[in-house]
Amino acid sequence: MIAFTVALGASLATAMLNVMLDVGDKVNRELKTYGANINVIPKEASLLDDLYGVSEGHGVSDRHLRESELGRLKTIFWAFNIVDFTPYLNAEARMSGLDADVRLVGTWFSHREALPTGETLDTGMRNMKSWWSIEGDWLSDGDADAAMVGALLAERAGLSVGDAVALESAGARRELTIKGIFEAGSAEDERVYVPLSVAQEMTGRPGLVSSVEVSALTTPDNELSRRAAQNPKSLSVKEWETWYCTAYVSAICYQIEEVLTDAVAKPIRQVAESEGTILKKTKLLMLLITILSLAGAALGISNLVTAGVMERSREIGLLKALGAGNAPVSWLILMEILITGAVGGAAGYFAGLGFAQIIGRTVFDAAINIKPMVIPLVAILVFLVILTGCVPSIRLLLSLRPAEVLHGR
Amino acid sequence: MTKKSMYFKMITSALIRRRSGMLVALLAVAIGATILSGLVTVYCDIPNQMRQEFRAYGANFILVSATGETLGRDATEAAVACIPASEIIGIAPYRYETVKINEQPFMAAGTDLAEAKKTSPYWFVSGEWPEEDGSVLIGQEVADVIRLPAGSAFTMTGTNPRGEAFSRDFRVSGIVQTGGTEEAFIFLSLADFAALMGDGGFDVVECSISAPQAELEAIAARVTESAEGVAPRLVTRVTRSEGAVLTKLQALVFLVTAVVLLLTMICVATTMMAVVTERRGEIGLKKALGAPDGSIVAEFLGEGLFLGCMGGILGVMLGFGFAQIIGVNVFGRAVHFQTALAPATVVASILVTGLACLIPVRSATEVDPAVVLRGE
Repeated sequence: MIAFTVALGASLATAMLNVMLDVGDKVNRELKTYGANINVIPKEASLLDDLYGVSEGHGVSDRHLRESELGRLKTIFWAFNIVDFTPYLNAEARMSGLDADVRLVGTWFSHREALPTGETLDTGMRNMKSWWSIEGDWLSDGDADAAMVGALLAERAGLSVGDAVALESAGARRELTIKGIFEAGSAEDERVYVPLSVAQEMTGRPGLVSSVEVSALTTPDNELSRRAAQNPKSLSVKEWETWYCTAYVSAICYQIEEVLTDAVAKPIRQVAESEGTILKKTKLLMLLITILSLAGAALGISNLVTAGVMERSREIGLLKALGAGNAPVSWLILMEILITGAVGGAAGYFAGLGFAQIIGRTVFDAAINIKPMVIPLVAILVFLVILTGCVPSIRLLLSLRPAEVLHGR
Repeated sequence: MTKKSMYFKMITSALIRRRSGMLVALLAVAIGATILSGLVTVYCDIPNQMRQEFRAYGANFILVSATGETLGRDATEAAVACIPASEIIGIAPYRYETVKINEQPFMAAGTDLAEAKKTSPYWFVSGEWPEEDGSVLIGQEVADVIRLPAGSAFTMTGTNPRGEAFSRDFRVSGIVQTGGTEEAFIFLSLADFAALMGDGGFDVVECSISAPQAELEAIAARVTESAEGVAPRLVTRVTRSEGAVLTKLQALVFLVTAVVLLLTMICVATTMMAVVTERRGEIGLKKALGAPDGSIVAEFLGEGLFLGCMGGILGVMLGFGFAQIIGVNVFGRAVHFQTALAPATVVASILVTGLACLIPVRSATEVDPAVVLRGE
């Protein structure tokens, strides 16, 4: 009975600790549905573009990033934390049937990028704009004469899926078929999206992009990272190392600026900051639930162990009547229960791993990483719980007189 | 002495005389019930609490004009009246105009700064949020271009919509960083803005509402109906993603709760079984004295039910404390007491204890009393 209960408790502890230690990473990945948290733009290009729609001349459009360098994003120190990235090339275009210019955006939809490291990475806008609702289909990067238009623009121009439109930009004219109409719920609803190569061709800017959105797994900001974000040079060497080697959003931005020529990487605070808040709360929640349920399990087990020892009052009485000293009797019982507990704990550990995987698979569709540090934690926990359960009851039994106990009172 | 009163006497004296054994059992039941009611309370309260946290992402609902003009004050008030007051985190109206500083054009935004702080908690302000009239927040972009640190003064010039030129001094109280377009704006209080530009309607009203997508859609429908000229729009990026992440989180807590409950209930049951098994001798003695199986089972069941009831009640109280600890520590808010949960916890603990009693009692009654009494 004790072995079984210890096994239950140990499996509970194993499952909860494993889930708790991995929950930050998993939730962080889920929060990626909010889209990019870093925006990379060329140095000296300003957000004036977004505000006033001036994208030609005026020191805006002549600044670009190079498409060929984008693979380097996966070579930075925190390369593993870069989940997705998508380049954008913005231009103004004249659309047939409309008086005003529309914003034409070239991008990767689902692109396979060959990395300098020899690996490949599947990335693109499809992964990063999970909240878009699409009527029709997403474009693929090979669609040389198809486009996607925003819902508001489509309504204004009276377009529907399958229609053909002519777009004219920088003197180049192109007939495109509308493959999809999307609703993004923001300014993008007024834009036309085409594959990056098409936009580069139309605007005569081969191999160039205007901005890159990066989605990265980050650690919540703290005092150090805030100071670093203001000015990395203000840190001492040691602080700088800590900062550089932690996945703060400011550190990742800094590293992106190192690998891309003339680029400025800015954290999108709306996403970066909020991710930190939610992540912290979720971790704390899991931590508290874990601690409290472990406390419950511990109480339950030590309760049972106490009951188990009390039950053996007759045996102890007999041993004492036969002349056994207090110490050997205590050791005997303690060792017995500890061995039972160890067997139960080992069985419980593996059962707990199973529970953790069930939780991981159902909730996150991903395996929970098994942390080796859980083993000593569970072992110590089981040991302490058995000890607290045994010691008071053994002491109580030893204080009884053998004759009385044997008599059955 | 009637049969009934004898029955109660036996149960109560069993509980009182066998103190240590019963205390063990009661403690086990109470712990189980505590974990049950505590975790379920937390689980029920999570969507509410987490939704508040998700408001860190900023506005999830915006009001714009349906006609292309600005939003009138009356129309805005009518629209805001459609949103349940308890769910509003913040409502910040915005007005935009172009102004000039050192003859360079910039965009000025007039807003209720206190509300803007609530709808956009992610703004990182170095310096202070403006407190009094005449002080403004400027975006990082603007600060870079005109090289103004926090605390410095500058003159804003321009012409208002009626064609009158103005020139006024302002103080920069803080510089705002967001990584988005807000960095190219100058934020003024509505009063300052009206002093420059005259009274006028709002260009956009940002609302941060603590409600799921379906409810936001219902609110949008009500706004369209009752406030003329107002077009409500959901910020889908925020609402959809929130729905997706929240579902995952809830599923996580649900599964964790289920696993913890399952294990705790088995734990409680084994403890109860151990306590009852210990009393096989007593059962044997009763049978030897001629008690029918039915009455023995009834007696143990009565004890179990009593224990389950007491433990359950204890557990409801402790469990609420436990949920409160989590609520206060994690979210900094009190959790709501789930009224329906109290009887459910008591019933569940009675069921588990009753069941856990029955199994060993049944096996004990099936054995020959002589064998049991001999202690085998």
